[in-house]
Amino acid sequence: MSTSNPQTPADLHTNLRQIEENMRTLQRVVTTRYPVAQTPKEVIWTLNKAKLYRYTPVLPPEKRHRVPLLLVFALMNRPYILDLRPGNSFVEYMVNKGYDVYLIDWGVPRTEDKNLKIDDYVLEYLPRAIRKMKSVSGSDEFSMLGWCIGAILSSCYAALRPNDGLRNLILLTAPLDFSDKQAGGFVRQVNDQYFDADKLIATYGNMPGELIDYGAKALKPVENYISNYVRLWDNLDNPKIVESWHAMNTWVSDLIPIAGATYRKLIVELYRENKLFKGTFQLRGETVDLRNIRASLLNVLADADHITPTCQSETAMDKFGSQDKQLLKVKGGHIGLMAGSSASKGTWPHIDTWLGGRSD
Amino acid sequence: MSQRSNDPNPFDPFGAMQSFRDANLDAWSKAMLQLVSSDAYSQATGQALDAYLSTSAPFRRVLESTMTQVLTQFNMPTRSDVVSLAERLTNIEMRLDDLDAKLDALERRTTQAQTTQAAGQALHPAEEH
Repeated sequence: MSTSNPQTPADLHTNLRQIEENMRTLQRVVTTRYPVAQTPKEVIWTLNKAKLYRYTPVLPPEKRHRVPLLLVFALMNRPYILDLRPGNSFVEYMVNKGYDVYLIDWGVPRTEDKNLKIDDYVLEYLPRAIRKMKSVSGSDEFSMLGWCIGAILSSCYAALRPNDGLRNLILLTAPLDFSDKQAGGFVRQVNDQYFDADKLIATYGNMPGELIDYGAKALKPVENYISNYVRLWDNLDNPKIVESWHAMNTWVSDLIPIAGATYRKLIVELYRENKLFKGTFQLRGETVDLRNIRASLLNVLADADHITPTCQSETAMDKFGSQDKQLLKVKGGHIGLMAGSSASKGTWPHIDTWLGGRSD
Repeated sequence: MSQRSNDPNPFDPFGAMQSFRDANLDAWSKAMLQLVSSDAYSQATGQALDAYLSTSAPFRRVLESTMTQVLTQFNMPTRSDVVSLAERLTNIEMRLDDLDAKLDALERRTTQAQTTQAAGQALHPAEEH
C-alpha cells in the first residue's frame, strides 16, 4: 500500500482517504467471494455429486478442432481454477482457440461417499462422463488433460482403456513416482511411521478439506501464511493485483474433502508403496500398467513445484508406452503454472501448440 | 501501511515494520522450510494429530449415538437413513445413465441407417418406384 510523505494538511487528508479506501478493499477481498468460473457452460451429465460441463463454443464448427478436450482436475479443491476469471482462464483461452472443452467437476463428497475409491472414479465415473462427451461432441476420439491427482486418474484411465478413443493425454504436475522419500511434498508428511491414515478416516469418514489445506500450506508456511498477505497489503492500491489475489483467495479458501477410501488408497498404495510406478497398482482387479498408454502424451512439470516435486513425474516418462511423448518443464509452481499471471504467455500457448496439431 | 519512499514517515506506523519484515522474511522462509522438511516436524504433527483423534473419537461416537437415539425417538431420519437413501439414488442414477447410453446408441444407429438409406435413394432414385 503506498502513501506519500505528507507535506501539508491536505496531503495528510489525501493519505488518510487513501488508507480508508485501502482498508475497505482489504475487508472486501478477505470477506467476499470473487465471481469465479464465468465462462458460459452447461451441465450435460451428472452422477452422484459429479457433473460434466460443456463450455459454449465461440467459433463456428468449421473453425473448431474436431477432437474434444476433457479437463480432469484433482479431487481436492475446486476445478474452477481452470476458469478462474475472465482474461485469466485456461478454459476461456482454449474455447477461444477453437477447442470443444468439457470439464468434469467431481463435486463435494459427503458421508455417503466415504467408500468411493479411486477405482470408482477411474472405472465408473470417468468412462460414463467420456461416453456422454463423445455422444454430445459426435467424436469418437478425444483428448484429456489431467492435473495433479486428476493426472493420476487420467493416467490410470489411459493405461486401462487404451482403445477407448483417447488420442492425446496431457498431464500437469502428475505425482506418479514416489520412490524418492526425501523428495519433499507430501511424501514425508504421510510417512507410515508418523501418520495414521486409517485412524483419520475411521474418525472423519472423509479426509477433511481443512486438513488437506493445512498439509499443503505447511509445506511453505511463511509464503502461505505471511508473504501471501504481505503481497496483498503492499498492493492494495493496485486493482489488477487485488483482483487477481481476490480470485485466487476465493479458490484457495474453497475447501472440499476427499472421499475416505480414495484418500487411503492414495496415501497407502501410491505415496507409501509406490505401486503405480512399480506397475502393481490395481483398480477393481485390473493392474494399471503405464506402458499400456498409447495416446500422444505431453507431461508438463513446474520447476518450482513444492507439492509435486519434478522428480515425482519426470521419471515416469520412461514408463509411458506412448510413441509420441514429450516432457515440458515450465517456470512456476504447482498452481501458478496454469493459473499464474504468466500462464497465458507460457504454459497455455505450449499446450495449444502441442494439442492443436493433434486435434484435427 | 508501507512507505515506498526511503524517508521516514511519522504518519506511516507500518513503515518500520515493513523494513524489518523485508529484511527478515526470506530468512524466516528458509528456516521454516528446513523445519517443515525435517523428520522431527513430521513426527510432531503426526503425534499431535494422533492425540487429537484419540481424544475426540469417543466424544464423536457418543454424540452420534445420542443423536441417532433422539432422532429415532422423534421419528426423524437418522444419518444412516439419509446415507442409505443417497446410495440408492446414486444406484438409480447409474441405471438411468445406462439407459441414456443405450438411447444414445440407438439414436446414433437410427441416424446412420437414415443417412445410408438417403444416400442409397440419391444413387438409385428409379428403384424406389
